[in-house]
Order: sequence, then structure tokens, then C-alpha cells
Amino acid sequence: MLGAYAADPSKILRITFQAAETGFDPVKVSDYYSGTVIEAIFDPLLTYDYLARPAKLVPNTATALPQITDKGRTYRVAVKPGIYFADDPVFKGQKRELTALDYAYSLRRFLDPKNRSPYAFLFEGIAGIETPDRHTLVIRLKQPDFNFSHVLAFPLAGAVAREAIEHYGDESAAKPVGSGPFRLKSYARSSKIVLEANPGYREVLHDGARLPRIGGVEISIMEETQSRWLAFQRGDTDIEYQLAEVAPTFITADGQLKPEFAKRGIKLERSIDPEIIYLYFNMQDKTVGGLSKERIALRRAIAMAYKIEDQIRIIRKGQAIRAQYPIPPGVAGHDPEYRSSLAYDPRAANALLDKFGYKKGPDGYRRLPDGGPLVIRYSSTPSERDRQFDELMKRSLDSIGIRLEIHKDRFPELIKLENQCRLMMRGAAWIADYPDGDNFMQLLYGPNAGQSNNACYRSPEYDKRYERSRLLPDGPERNQLYREMARIMETDTVWLLTDSRYRNVLMQPRVKGYTKHPVMHAEWLYIDLE
Amino acid sequence: MSSYFFRRLWQFIPTLLGVVLLVFFLFNWVGGDPAYILAGKIASPELIENIRRSLGVDQPYWVQLWIFVKQIATADFGVSWSTNERVSQIFATRLGPSLTVLVPLLLVSTVIALAAAMLVAYYRGSLTDRGIMIACTVGQSVSILVYILLLQYWLAYQLGWFPVQGWGSTLGENLLGYAALPILVGVIVSLAPDIRLYRTFFLDEIGQDYVRTARAKGLGEGRVIWLHVLRNAAIPITTNVMMQIPGLLAGAFLIERFFSIPGIGREVILAVERSDFPVIKAVTVYVAIATMVVNLLADLTYRMLDPRVQLK
Repeated sequence: MLGAYAADPSKILRITFQAAETGFDPVKVSDYYSGTVIEAIFDPLLTYDYLARPAKLVPNTATALPQITDKGRTYRVAVKPGIYFADDPVFKGQKRELTALDYAYSLRRFLDPKNRSPYAFLFEGIAGIETPDRHTLVIRLKQPDFNFSHVLAFPLAGAVAREAIEHYGDESAAKPVGSGPFRLKSYARSSKIVLEANPGYREVLHDGARLPRIGGVEISIMEETQSRWLAFQRGDTDIEYQLAEVAPTFITADGQLKPEFAKRGIKLERSIDPEIIYLYFNMQDKTVGGLSKERIALRRAIAMAYKIEDQIRIIRKGQAIRAQYPIPPGVAGHDPEYRSSLAYDPRAANALLDKFGYKKGPDGYRRLPDGGPLVIRYSSTPSERDRQFDELMKRSLDSIGIRLEIHKDRFPELIKLENQCRLMMRGAAWIADYPDGDNFMQLLYGPNAGQSNNACYRSPEYDKRYERSRLLPDGPERNQLYREMARIMETDTVWLLTDSRYRNVLMQPRVKGYTKHPVMHAEWLYIDLE
Repeated sequence: MSSYFFRRLWQFIPTLLGVVLLVFFLFNWVGGDPAYILAGKIASPELIENIRRSLGVDQPYWVQLWIFVKQIATADFGVSWSTNERVSQIFATRLGPSLTVLVPLLLVSTVIALAAAMLVAYYRGSLTDRGIMIACTVGQSVSILVYILLLQYWLAYQLGWFPVQGWGSTLGENLLGYAALPILVGVIVSLAPDIRLYRTFFLDEIGQDYVRTARAKGLGEGRVIWLHVLRNAAIPITTNVMMQIPGLLAGAFLIERFFSIPGIGREVILAVERSDFPVIKAVTVYVAIATMVVNLLADLTYRMLDPRVQLK
């Protein structure tokens, strides 16, 4: 058996995180950084083809993609025999095989209130889990869902061993035991995470070579952009992708790597993150909410006065594209032909407000049609970045004579108020948990108001179509529903979609075989180093 | 002396209680609800309630306050709400790196500042004095952030004299390698205010009658300055140095963040960002206790430095 000896121990990939991880117990984390490490240590049943675009599901520890029966209610998956967890003292020197029982245990942990898992919502559709034999897993859902396979490919849905979780207890976040390509070698919380190739990793081939090819990954937590940028330029790190603030330093206006960096052999890979960023109106708010014509006109005028181009040019420093559709590029259901009807046009916005009775008072600011004061309350955090958004919003609303009030609060308090449908207007973002349109279209589904539906939007027309879309697999019929839903949302002007950001990945010349995947983050499995 | 000592110890209790009340009510008044941070992307009301219950923040305030008091009494602040790491473990692992930077920083900056202040005080009104005072005024008006950015770029990146950032596994590697530039930055930043402050202490003493008498008796300048002036200026200097010691426990978060030092300062910022109350509680209480202990030590030191001081 070759084991991980395909991995060269001298090849250590050095990368950085710009924020501290919180731990490596899959059910207890919600941050990107912990999730990335978990992806390298644990094995979900399914994964994504590394090179296929859009993202394509493939079996990982399953022998094949799930058999979906009972009109999308039952998923049957066979687990490959002969896969083992990485050696750990908890197994007392015995090889510990990965079985369907481990997946059943791992998925049930998400639903156990004791674990208060932030990602429990992904698994709430599960009605029951059965293991007819050691290598077969049957998942029964409460209602049809043709997209549940994506949940089985979710990195946090990797299998943990019950005895490891029970043995390490509260320490399980610092003692991850998985069957994935890497295992934790050393860990200084919030400072340095060192992974090494799992010597017992099963045979996985890519381009004719056994994976992983590198012997380990060294992750340093560096919060400050200057530190990351200087460390990369000095060659202290191999891959750097968290440099949005200094992107104009190394990227030309047309998105190419500047010649001085290209000459040094540095490589740039540029992709759009599977995310949407948007401004939302609280549809239950007494000033901007509701579906009456004058309220829609008010929201539409605000949307038409907001200069997205400035947001991208000034705040994003050119490192974003205009978002047109609620489903971003790279996610199943995205429509590249769709164009938003909400274009920047302050003249038309002013005319619209005039027409619907929002007349200007002697102070130059508009009043409500009934003569009452009109003040838009825009909520944001006290961060420097949000201050830039405040200024842009102020300029935008000034251009149509609407008075703006900035409401500042800490992030958790804003979320609390948002969940209670008590904010009037705020900027928000959503990045794909899995590359399927449903993950985005649910953001406007009525019953999700007060949770992921931060606009507290309830539209019978939208909800009816969403419920139908849930019963359909990815395809033209579902895409047509999504288009209709996008137009309904736009007609009601619930959101103003603003942008999706570029992910600019810089690599040292010695990095080989790296390409950014839309949803996988620990692509280290496929990387080689010279 | 001993009665003074024990009386001061007793005074710790009401002071600490004041700190406890202040921290507790500030956190509950202006601190964010941790449940909304821990709940992740989609926070259902059930999940929020579940988290609040498991953290104990659904309990009445007086119950939460009593738990806080018990934690202080047992020196066990439980686990971090966001990482589940024991708070004691956080201190055990993060205090070392902070002290590796801050202790040499305090020693070096104090020695240099004393020497420089003595020099400019002695040559008061000279070109040297004016030059150093102008440099101190300018230096003090520049933010620490500017020093960090410039020195990291210039000394570490451009000249390659120091690592840009990072932290090693041995004290020697850190002290001579990774911590050197952070210490240098810290020394440069603290020199300007310290020199100006110590200069005033020395000037106060140099103008005293006993100095003129000492000189009139024919004592050498070195003996006058180093023995008489320094000894008499030692009390305010000791106060200033002692006041900086409790801050060692809170770390230096900007320096730690920019140079990726796994110290307590970074942890405090993380705890505030995450509304991680157990960590915030522990840091506040430890810093408060350290401040009280150091103040007591400072008072005892005054007596050693100047027998005329009476501790009542």
C-alpha cells in the first residue's frame, strides 16, 4: 500500500487566514476558516469535481451518487468499504473503519439541540436515518427535496467517530479525528494550525498521481492586510487570497496581474465568489414596507438613486461585478442573460417620487404623501468599511431629496433587530453553502421571515413558485420558476442587488495545480509544490 | 506596616466588587447578545433560545451575577463561549507571548527614557534639550499604527533585518527573532511620552535646595545626579512604571495583530468581537486585581525609597 507516501513531507504549503478559527468540531462551527480546515480533515459522502464548472457533484466516500426514490423523499447511499479513520489514541491501536453508522451519528449530531449547531438548518428536513447494513445509509426526508445531495457534500457533513467525540468531549473542537486527506499535527489556537498528510488516506488519484501530493499545510492567522501582503511578497507564504484592500497594487484595471509581479513568476487566479450582496428593505416597516404603489415607488426610487458603480469603484476598488440575478455565477440556476430592471437613474427616481406624492418641503427634503416626515433609517455597524457605505447611501438619498438617518449598532444587535423585522433598511450578503439556487431563493421565502429572509418579505406569488421549485431538480423548469421569482421580487423592489466580489488568488511560482473551486475551500488536496 | 498592608488587602474587596458590577452591567447593557453571533447564518428563535439557555444568559441578572462572583472566588471562569477553550488555558498559553514582548519593552524603554530624560534635564535649555523635546513632541503626535506600518515595511520587508511577522516555539527564537521588531516599535512609541514625563520629574528635583547644597559641598556632578536627584525623582518614576505593569496582562493588541503574536491582547479583541463574556470577565478581573496589587507594592516601595514616607 502506498498510503500517504505519495505526499512529500518536505512540501509544506504555507497559507494564511485573516481571522481566527473557532475549532474543528463540525457541528459547532459556523465560520469559514474552521470550515476550511474541517474540509481537509473530514470526509463527507459526496464532494465536487475539482475542475468541473459549474460545480458538479461526485461521490467521495460513497460508491456512487445517492439513489433518490419516493419522489425525492428518500436518499440511499452506499459507503465504500475499506476506508479508515486516521490513527488516533482513542482507537487503541486498532484500524477503525468508516461506516454508514458514522455518517448516521454525524448527521444526527446536527439535530441534537445539545450541540446547538449553527448549521442545523441544513439538516432540519431529515425525518429519519437508517443503516440497513454497515455500509448503507438511508435518509428519509420530511418532504421531497431533489437538492439534498448538496447537503451530503457539505464539508461539515463529514463523518466523525462516535468514540472520538465521546472521549474528547469539550476538547473535540481541538482534537479532530477524521478520514480525510490531512490530519491535525499541531494547533496553537488563533495563531497557527499545522496539518500533515494523513498516512492512512485511501487511494485517490488525480491526473494520474496519488493525492495528496504535499506533506502538509501550515496556516498562520494574520489579521492585518499589510502583514499578509508583505509576508507573501517576501515569499513567506505560498497562496494569498485575502488582499482585496490592496488589489489595485497588483492588478491592472482590466484584471490582469501587473507585469512586475508576473515577471517574478507570481500567478493570479481570478474568480467571482458564489455570493450576492444586496440592500434590503423591511417589507413590514411602516415607512418603506408593504405592497401599495406609493411604497413600491419609494423603494424603487431609492434603488434607482443608489450608484452601484460607485460602490464597486470606490469601496470595492474595482474588485466586484454588478449582481443582476439573485443566484450568483457558478451556482446552479444562475441566469447569465438576466438583467435587472433597477438601473441607476436619479432623474427617473425623482420623477417617480413626484408622481406618487412625495413632495419636497421648504427644507428641500421630501415628505410622505400624507405630509408626514419622510426619514429613511439605514442600519450599519460602526466599522470603517460600513462608514463608506453610509456615505454612499447619504449621497444617493440626497440626490433624490430624501433625508437619511444612520442607525449604528453592533453586529449581533443588528441581527437581533433584523430577526425581529425591526430594521428599516440594511446591506446584507449571502455566500453559497452549496452551489444550488435554492440556497439563494429561500432568502425571500415568506416562512423564512425573521430568519434568513431578512427583508421579512411575504409574497403569495413568490412563495407559491418557491414551493414548486423545491419539488424540482435543477433544470429548465426550475430555472423558469426562478426567473419569475426574480422578477416578482424586483417588481416589488424588496432588494437592490448590488455586487458579487472577485476572489483574487495570488500564488508563488512553486505552487502547481491550484484552481479556485466555487464552493470547496481546502483545495490543498490537489496542489503540488515544486 | 503590617496593619497598613492588611487594611489595604481588605480594601481590595469593595474595589473588586465595584469592578464586577461595572463589567457585568456594561456587558449586559452595551455588549451584543452572544446568541446571535453563535447562531451562525440562520438564527431560528428556537436555536437562539437554546443557545441562551446553554450559556445561562436566560437566567435572571442576579443569578448571572452570583455565578460571576463564584467564578472569581474559585478562579475558574469556565470555557470560552465561542471556542469552548478553558479560559485558564487561554491565559496559560497567551500570556507568555505577550510578556515576551512587553517585559523587555518596558525595561528597555524605561532605562533609555531615564537616561535621555536625565541628559536633557541636565542640559536644560541647550540645543540638545530643545532638539530632543521637539522630536518627542512630534513623535508623540504620531499614531502607533504609523510606526508599525512604516517600520514593518521598511525594516522587515525592505531591509530584511527582522521577520515581517510570526512566532516561534522557543523563547530564544522569539526574543531574538520575532519579538525584536515589535519591541523596537513599542520602545520608540513609549520613549517620547516617558522622556517628557521623566524630564519634568528631574527638573523638579534639580532645582531643589538640596542639589545646590550638594554642589556647594563639592560633590561631583555624577554623584549629585545619580545619587541625590535620581533617588528623589524615583517615587514618581516608580509610580509611572508600576502603573504600566497591569497593562502587561492585557497585552498590546495592535502590535500583536500586526506581528501575528499569539498574545493576550489579540485574544481580548477576539473576545470583544465575539461577545465572549467569560474571557472578557477574566481579563477585566485579573487586570483589576493586578492593578490593586501593584498599587500596594508601589506604596510599599515608596517607603523603601524614601524613609520619610509614612504608610498610614
